[in-house]
Amino acid sequence: MRRFEYHRADTLEQASRLLTDLGEDTFVFNGGTDLLVEIRERLRRVRNVVDIKQIPGLSDIIYDETRGLTFGALVTVGRLERLALVRQRYPNLYAAFASLGSIQVRNRATVAGNVCRASPSADTIPPLIADGAFIHIYSRTNRRVVPLAEFFTGPGKTVLAKGEIVTGITVPPAGDNSGKAYLKHGRRKAMELSTVGVAVSLTMEGGLCDDIRITLGAVGATVLRAPQAEAMLRGTSLDAATVKNAANKAMEECTPISNVRASADYRRDMVGVLTGRAIKQALEAFA
Amino acid sequence: MNMTTPIEQRDFKIVGKSVRRDDVLEKVTGEAEYTGDVKLSGMLHGKIKRAAIAHARIKSIDVSKALAYPGVKAVLTHENVPRVLHYGSPHPRSASCTKDQYILDDKVRFWGEGVAAVAAISEEIADEALDLIEVEYEPLPAVFEPEDAAQPGAPLIHDVGPGGNLVLDPVRINRGDVDAGFAQADFVLEGVFSGGRPHPAYMEPNVCIADWDGSNKLTFWTSTQTSFMVRGILAEVLGLPLTKVRVLVDHMGGGFGAKQDLFQHEFLCALLAKQTRRPVKMEFSRHETFVAGRSRHPCKIWLKQGFKNDGTLVARDMKLAYDSGAYGSHGPGVTIVGTTAATSLYRCENVRLEGRCVYTNTPINGAFRGYGVVQSYYALDIQMDEAAERLGMDPAELKLKNVVRAGDIAPSGHPILGHGLEICLQHGIDVLDWKKLRNRDRTPDPKRPHIRTGWGIGCEMHGSSAYPGIKEQGNATVKVNEDGTVTLLTGAAGLGTGAHTALAQIVAEELGVRFEDVGTIHGDTDVVPWDIGAFASHTTYLVGTAAKMAAGKVRTAVLERAAMKLQVSPAEIDLSEGKVFVITDPGRCMTVAQAMGPSRGIPAANIVANGTYEPTKSYSFAAHFAEVHVDTETGIVEVKRVIPVHDVGRVIHPIAAQGQIEGGIQQGIGHTLTEDYVIDKKTGRSLNAGLVDYKMPLSMDMPDIETIILEAAPDPGGPWGAKGVGEDPIIAIGPAIANAIHDAIGVRFRHYPITPEDVLKALREKAA
Ligand SMILES: Cc1cc2nc3c(=O)[nH]c(=O)nc-3n(C[C@H](O)[C@H](O)[C@H](O)COP(=O)(O)OP(=O)(O)OC[C@H]3O[C@@H](n4cnc5c(N)ncnc54)[C@H](O)[C@@H]3O)c2cc1C
Repeated sequence: MRRFEYHRADTLEQASRLLTDLGEDTFVFNGGTDLLVEIRERLRRVRNVVDIKQIPGLSDIIYDETRGLTFGALVTVGRLERLALVRQRYPNLYAAFASLGSIQVRNRATVAGNVCRASPSADTIPPLIADGAFIHIYSRTNRRVVPLAEFFTGPGKTVLAKGEIVTGITVPPAGDNSGKAYLKHGRRKAMELSTVGVAVSLTMEGGLCDDIRITLGAVGATVLRAPQAEAMLRGTSLDAATVKNAANKAMEECTPISNVRASADYRRDMVGVLTGRAIKQALEAFA
Repeated sequence: MNMTTPIEQRDFKIVGKSVRRDDVLEKVTGEAEYTGDVKLSGMLHGKIKRAAIAHARIKSIDVSKALAYPGVKAVLTHENVPRVLHYGSPHPRSASCTKDQYILDDKVRFWGEGVAAVAAISEEIADEALDLIEVEYEPLPAVFEPEDAAQPGAPLIHDVGPGGNLVLDPVRINRGDVDAGFAQADFVLEGVFSGGRPHPAYMEPNVCIADWDGSNKLTFWTSTQTSFMVRGILAEVLGLPLTKVRVLVDHMGGGFGAKQDLFQHEFLCALLAKQTRRPVKMEFSRHETFVAGRSRHPCKIWLKQGFKNDGTLVARDMKLAYDSGAYGSHGPGVTIVGTTAATSLYRCENVRLEGRCVYTNTPINGAFRGYGVVQSYYALDIQMDEAAERLGMDPAELKLKNVVRAGDIAPSGHPILGHGLEICLQHGIDVLDWKKLRNRDRTPDPKRPHIRTGWGIGCEMHGSSAYPGIKEQGNATVKVNEDGTVTLLTGAAGLGTGAHTALAQIVAEELGVRFEDVGTIHGDTDVVPWDIGAFASHTTYLVGTAAKMAAGKVRTAVLERAAMKLQVSPAEIDLSEGKVFVITDPGRCMTVAQAMGPSRGIPAANIVANGTYEPTKSYSFAAHFAEVHVDTETGIVEVKRVIPVHDVGRVIHPIAAQGQIEGGIQQGIGHTLTEDYVIDKKTGRSLNAGLVDYKMPLSMDMPDIETIILEAAPDPGGPWGAKGVGEDPIIAIGPAIANAIHDAIGVRFRHYPITPEDVLKALREKAA
C-alpha cells in the first residue's frame, strides 16, 4: 500500500480547513471502505486523508412525519439497516442497505460515503434519488442543500467544491399511498457490486399512479432517471401492458457499457426485466 | 456382478470418529502462525516489477533511480541473477516436463510476468521503487488462444520443447478399434466442449521469507504444498547441497494444487536476501495471486462417440487441447492425466484419445484440484446425458448401464480394486426417488412463472496418488516418548484440510494410544522424513499407510518392552487406549508410560520406526445429484440442492471428509456458473485479477448439501481401506449442474462457466 498522511479533525471547520490547506490529493476519510481499497489497489492517488469520524453531531438519525428521515454523514449503512422504521417505511432503502457488501462492510460503510464516492453502481443512490432525497453540505462560508438528483456530475464526480463536506442526507417522508422497491442484479447474493440496480418509488391515488420515479444504477455515467418511462406510467393503473411498454422505454433510456461484469446488451435487458419487477414489487404495498 | 470386497467391520477407537482437530484452537484464536506472520529482525520487503506487455524482448532496463531511492537495498534484473534453466513444476522426475523457465529472462512471455525485483526497508518503499524502474521493450507478436498458437507460423513463445508452441508431444492413447466401433454404432454424437480459466483463489496469498545464516545456509519459509520440491529446486538453481537449504512451512491457508510450483518470487526472495545479507519477505497481493499464481488450464475438447440403440457405448474419439499459459508448469501432467482419464468413467472398448498442451502468452496455468479431469469428464458426462435424451432414456439409467465396473482397467492401466461408482449412482437414485423426481409435475409456480426447475446427475472417479505418472512414496517416522506420548514426523503439508489430524488418528489407532497423546511434527525439511508433496488426493491414502506401518512397528517394540517388564511373552499381551495388558488376565497391566519409562537401572526406551510406502493407486467415486432453478428472464441459475454420494473407502474423519466434499462443491459451482479469470484476447491483460470481479460463490450462494459418504469400496492400499477425497468433489458437480440446466430449460451447454447472458441468449435462440 502506498504511504499517505493521516489527519484527524475535531470540528467541521477544522476538517474543511485541512481539506483546502493540504492541497491536491486530500480526501475525507469516513468509513474508509472505498477510500482505503482505492489506495491499496492504486486506483486513487492519495497524499492526505482527513478523518471526520470524531466530529460531533454527525451521527444522529431523526424521523419526523413532515420532514422525513434525516441522518448524519457518519451514520453507517448497518445502523440504518437495523432500524424498524427503515424496514417498514423505506423498503427500497432497506433492500439497498441489506444488499451492500457484507455485514462487516455495512458496519463500517456510511451512506454519505456511498453517495460521495459517486459510483454509478452504488446501491444506495438509486432508491435515494427515487425518493427525492437531498443532501446537506457544509463549507466554511456557506451551507447548502442540494437535491441528490443534482449532486452527481459523472462517475466518481460530484458538485462538491474543495473544502466542502457532506453533513447529512434527508429523505422525504414516506406516505401511506406510496410504494417503493429496489432490485439489485448481481451474480451472487452478497459481496456483490450491482450489474444493474433499479429503484422505483411511486404514489397511487384512487387506483391510478399519481407519481412515479424510476432510477437506474450501473447503466450510465451516473445513476439515471427514466423520465419517458415514468411519463408513460403516470395516470395509469400500472396494468401489465403499460408496465411492459414503460420497461421497454427504460431500456432505451439507459446508456450501459460492456465490461467484464456484463455486456451492454445484457445490462439493457436487465433494465427491462428489473423495471417491470420493481414496479410490481412496489405495488405490493397496496395489496 | 459386484466384485468389490466389503469393508472390514471392526471396532475402531479413533478412526471413523470426528475427533477435534489438533489445530482448531490455534486457528480460531488467531495464534496459528502462518508464513506471513513470521517476523525476523532486520527483515526487508521484496516486490516484483511486472511487465505490462504480453510478449516482448527487453531492450534495456534501467534500475539506477530505483537503487538510489531512499530505503531501497537491492534491485535484481535478468542481468544480475543466475541464468539457470529450470522446471516450473516440482515434478522433474516425470520425464514429460521441459525445463523452460529462468528466474528472470530478457524476454517477457505474459502480461504480469516479473522483470525485476526490489528489496527495501518497507513494503511501501519497495512498491514505490517499482515505478522508478524503466524498462524498454521490443514488442513481439503474441498469441492468446491455443488454436492460434498451434497454427504453423505462429509466433514461438519458447525455443525449447517439441516446437510449434507444444509443451509436450501429443499424448495419444488407442484401445480397441475405434473405426470398427463407429461402424457398429446406431448413432453418433459429436460436440465441442470448452472450459474457462477458474482460479483457486486460496485465502492465503503466496508468501515466502528467506534468511541466510553465517554458514551460508538458507532458511526458507514458504506457503507450499511441496516443501521438499522447493528445497530441491532451490538448491539446484542456487548451486547448494541440500544440507544448506531448509524449508519451513507450518499452517497454510489453502493451495488447492496451485502451490506446487516453484515460483519466480521464491528464487528472487532467496537471491535478494543473499545480496542484502538480511532476511527478505515477499508476499503476493491478491492481484498477484491471479497474474503470478496458477489457474486451471482452459481447455477445448472435441468429442465424438458412437452408441447402440440399447445405450451401449461402442466408440469414443476425443481430442483435447489444454492452454498452458506462458510456461509448462503442470501442463504435461494435466494433459496426461486429463487425457488418460477419458479412457474410463463410462466403459468403452474402442477409444482414440489425443491430448495436446499449448503455450500461449497468458498467465501460467498449473495444478488445480481435479487436475485435467474436471475438463474431460465435463465433456464425457454431458455427452452421456445427450445420448440419454436421444434414446429417450432416463440419464440415470443410461449412466448406470455404462459406468465402469470391477474388472475394468483404470486410466492408470491397472485393474481397480474398489469399485464404487455403480453403488454411488444407485444409492442416489434410491434416496432421491429419482424416477419420481423425473416424472414430477413441471408446471411453473404461478407466483414465479419465470422460474424453471431442473435436476441433473454428474459422475466422476479420481485416483489417489499420481501413479503411474509418478512412482510415489509416502514416509512417516513414529517415536514413542518415555511418558507414553507419541510423536509423528511427517513431511506432508497441512493445507488446511485436517490431514495431520487424520494421520495422528491413524497412528493412535494402530498403536493403541489415545488420539490426544499423538503429537505431529511437520513442515521442516531438516527434521521430517522426505515427502513428495501434498497433492493427488493422496495424503491420507499414501502417508496414512506409511504412518500406519511405522505405528505398527513401534507397537511391536512397545509390546516387547512391556512383555519384558511384565515377564510374559509379547504374544500374551495386547495394547489398547494407552494400556498394555495380559489378554487372559487384563488386571495384569501397565501404561505405555510405565513400559517406556526407566525402572530399576533400565534407562527409558528409545523406540523409533520409519514407514515407507510405495503405492500404485486407488480410485474414489462419486455421483452428484443437483437441483437448479433457472430464471428465464435474467438467465440466472441458482443451485438449490446437491446430494453428493461419494465412495471414499474407509472414512478416517467424517467431518473433514464432508468438509472436503462441501468445499469442492462450492468451488465446482463457481467454476460452472460464475468463476472465470478473463484475459483480454487483444492485449493479454488480465481483466478481473481480483476478488471484486472474479466471482466465487459465498456462503449465501450455497445450496443445501446433503452429503452421503459410502464406505462401499475400500482399497487395500490405503489405511483400513481409506482412499482419497480431496479432488473428487469438484469433478462431478459441473456436469450435474449443466445437465440440470438442460432438464430445466431444454438447452444444452457444453462450456463453463455458463453465464446468465449465455442462458438468455440460448433461450432466445431456442424460442426463435
Ligand atoms: C468488500 C466491499 C464490498 C462492497 N460492496 C458494496 C456494494 O454492494 N454496494 C455498494 O454500493 N458499495 C459497496 N462497497 C463500497 C463501499 O462500502 C460504499 O461505497 C461505502 O458506503 C462508502 O462509505 P465509507 O464511509 O466507507 O466511505 P469512504 O471510503 O470513507 O469514502 C468514500 C468517498 O467519499 C468521500 N466522502 C466520504 N464521506 C464524505 C463526506 N461526509 N463528505 C464529503 N466526502 C465524503 C471520501 O473522500 C471518498 O472519496 C463495498 C466495499 C467493500 C470494501
